[in-house]
Amino acid sequence: MNKVTQMLLVLTSIGILAGGLLAMVSDWASPLIAANKKAETEAAIFRVQSEGKSYEKIKNAGFEVYKVMSENSLVIGYALVYEGNGFQGKIRLICGLTEDLEKIKSMEILEQVETPGLGTKVTEIPFTDQFKMLQTSPMVNMVKGVPPEDPNEIQAITGATISSKAVVEIINNGIAQMKKLRDAGGLK
Amino acid sequence: MTTETTAEPKQKVYFDLTTSPHLHSKWSTAKVMWFVNIALAPSVAAAIVFFGIYQAIIMVTAVAFAVGTEAAVQSVRKKQVTWFDGSAALTGLLLALTLPPNFSLSATAIGSVVAIGLGKQIFGGLGYNIFNPALVGRAFLQAAFPVQITTWTQPNFAVDGITSATPLAALKFDKILTETSSMAIGNVGGSLGETSAAAVLVGGIFLIVVGIVNWRIPLSMIIGMIVFGGIFWFINPDNPTPVFHIFAGSFLFGAMFMATDWVTSPITNKGMWMFGLGISLILVIIRIFGGLPEGVMYSILFMNAFVPLINRYTTPWVFGAIKAEKKNE
Amino acid sequence: MKKQVSLSKEYLKGVWENNPILIQLLGLCPTLAVTVSAINGLAMGLAATFVLVMSSLLISSIRKIIPNQIRIASFIVIIATFVTVVDLVMKAKFPDLSKALGPFIPLIVVNCVILGRQEAFASKNNPGRAFLDAVGMGTGFTIALLVLGGIREIIGSRTFFGLQVLPDQYEPWLIMILPAGAFLTLGLLLGISNMYTDRKKRTEHESIIAHYKRVGREDIAEQLEVK
Repeated sequence: MNKVTQMLLVLTSIGILAGGLLAMVSDWASPLIAANKKAETEAAIFRVQSEGKSYEKIKNAGFEVYKVMSENSLVIGYALVYEGNGFQGKIRLICGLTEDLEKIKSMEILEQVETPGLGTKVTEIPFTDQFKMLQTSPMVNMVKGVPPEDPNEIQAITGATISSKAVVEIINNGIAQMKKLRDAGGLK
Repeated sequence: MTTETTAEPKQKVYFDLTTSPHLHSKWSTAKVMWFVNIALAPSVAAAIVFFGIYQAIIMVTAVAFAVGTEAAVQSVRKKQVTWFDGSAALTGLLLALTLPPNFSLSATAIGSVVAIGLGKQIFGGLGYNIFNPALVGRAFLQAAFPVQITTWTQPNFAVDGITSATPLAALKFDKILTETSSMAIGNVGGSLGETSAAAVLVGGIFLIVVGIVNWRIPLSMIIGMIVFGGIFWFINPDNPTPVFHIFAGSFLFGAMFMATDWVTSPITNKGMWMFGLGISLILVIIRIFGGLPEGVMYSILFMNAFVPLINRYTTPWVFGAIKAEKKNE
Repeated sequence: MKKQVSLSKEYLKGVWENNPILIQLLGLCPTLAVTVSAINGLAMGLAATFVLVMSSLLISSIRKIIPNQIRIASFIVIIATFVTVVDLVMKAKFPDLSKALGPFIPLIVVNCVILGRQEAFASKNNPGRAFLDAVGMGTGFTIALLVLGGIREIIGSRTFFGLQVLPDQYEPWLIMILPAGAFLTLGLLLGISNMYTDRKKRTEHESIIAHYKRVGREDIAEQLEVK
């Protein structure tokens, strides 16, 4: 056999076999991966809106936001997914809001690449719990070193001021977008 | 026949051979190190006056563990134990002076062990290390315990009582400018040795006068700060003034005691200028654009890495040698 | 034809004597990046081992029909296929682990341990030996990553496989779970392993000298001593 033909033949057949195998694996895996992703979003939505029973994505919002309904299909609030810059990279969080957007029900960080052991404390309960029933107007404020006094204040993590501030800013930006959307009638 | 040759036992004689020039310096290592230790006395005194007697315990811990590590590593490696030359004690003291007041003693000890173990002995001991050992220890502690090392206590005679933050942190995070006069005396939050600019200057000038510290490095750093800090201040007056830059944080302490370390600074005069200007440039960039308020430690460590290169490119011409281009003429 | 070593040695050489991380210093990128915890190290090690074993087996069985000129291209296509399989399976079945290891699973494709074994071993030996070699190298790689991840996790976050092993009074050294900690730990591990190897070599050398002295050849012993 000619050397060139052999080379072509071998590499092509390896490629075809590899492609076939990958197609099979992908066929099996992609529904599972999609289901994982959906389950993850769903779980996060119901964690920040604990009384929620069903949800619906609001279309044309320009960002990711879900309308959350109770058992008897009454809208009880929203679950807002918003992202912004942290200390080193993007922070993506989900935030449960009351229907009038005046209070945060609960907040959770979905993705972050902050400094391990320091900035990553924004994902931990002592920090995220501060957002429970927090007032959002005029906006969320952050204090350093002292316990918060006003109903719209949270305390920054010692040594991770930048990460804490980033979370507060993301929430404020997200809520501002929500209010804009509401005024435009986009939440109906 | 073998019995005859073995009658006289073979004697092996060893000579130490080194290449010329065989210069003799009036300074021995031990003398230099103890002089620097003495020059730190004003800073030590200032630290105890402003932050309390507990700081003396931190310094003793740091020195003890530095000396202990030096002796332990040298005896394990079967080298001559040289802790009494004062270089390990100096590293420990310098490290202690870069720590915040009331820092935990266990962490101080870890810092000392790392400074001597990983900063100095792993390279082969005194004279072989690339990076300033005290700063290696400080950098390790900064990365290992970032919260504790940025927790500042207020000095004893604080006038305003606004925050316990350092002038640089106050400026970076809260946009509060500290009075230059407080920073010069040292009545502000900060690391033990760096807060009192006056005490640092007394010690530093003493070292320059006796001839241990070459004046070119501190001077070039200050000139660099005025030039580079001035440029950014000129572009945007919100940035701190060069004077603030010089008196804030550990700039003077770094310029007098850290950057001038004999082992880790350039040996040529031209090289010293490049080294000092480089430190200031990197420092201004870290302070203005970086996430951290202070960057003296990182800028000195960074320039330490360039020292072999600087030495190589600033080597003076050998007397009588001709430049390669001139030969062609 | 080179001398054939015993089958057990074929396996063991990758575990210690030719350990990919500690001796050959191959594939250091994932080693340094993912070993913030023992479980990450173990998972990365097992994923790489799976890819290594499968590709070695396949490449060794078809080694005679791959023309020399396109061998690297063929190796990479085969390795990439197995890596993609691992990546998809992990995403489908272990989403949390896949998130933690991030881009380093796809990057196994360019891990030089794997390509290196194909080029140096699998493409020259029969499938049986290639399999043993791959399993051995994989074991060595996994052990090194597990040790590195374990040390960093214990010191850096006082846990081991997620279980707390050090008391609350112990303040974790955050540097250990930062990239700098990876370099420090790996450097010190390499130092220890070199110390051990050096000592072994020296005792061997000394035993040879002692042997020559015993048989009365002092001249050879002296020559060796000078070395």
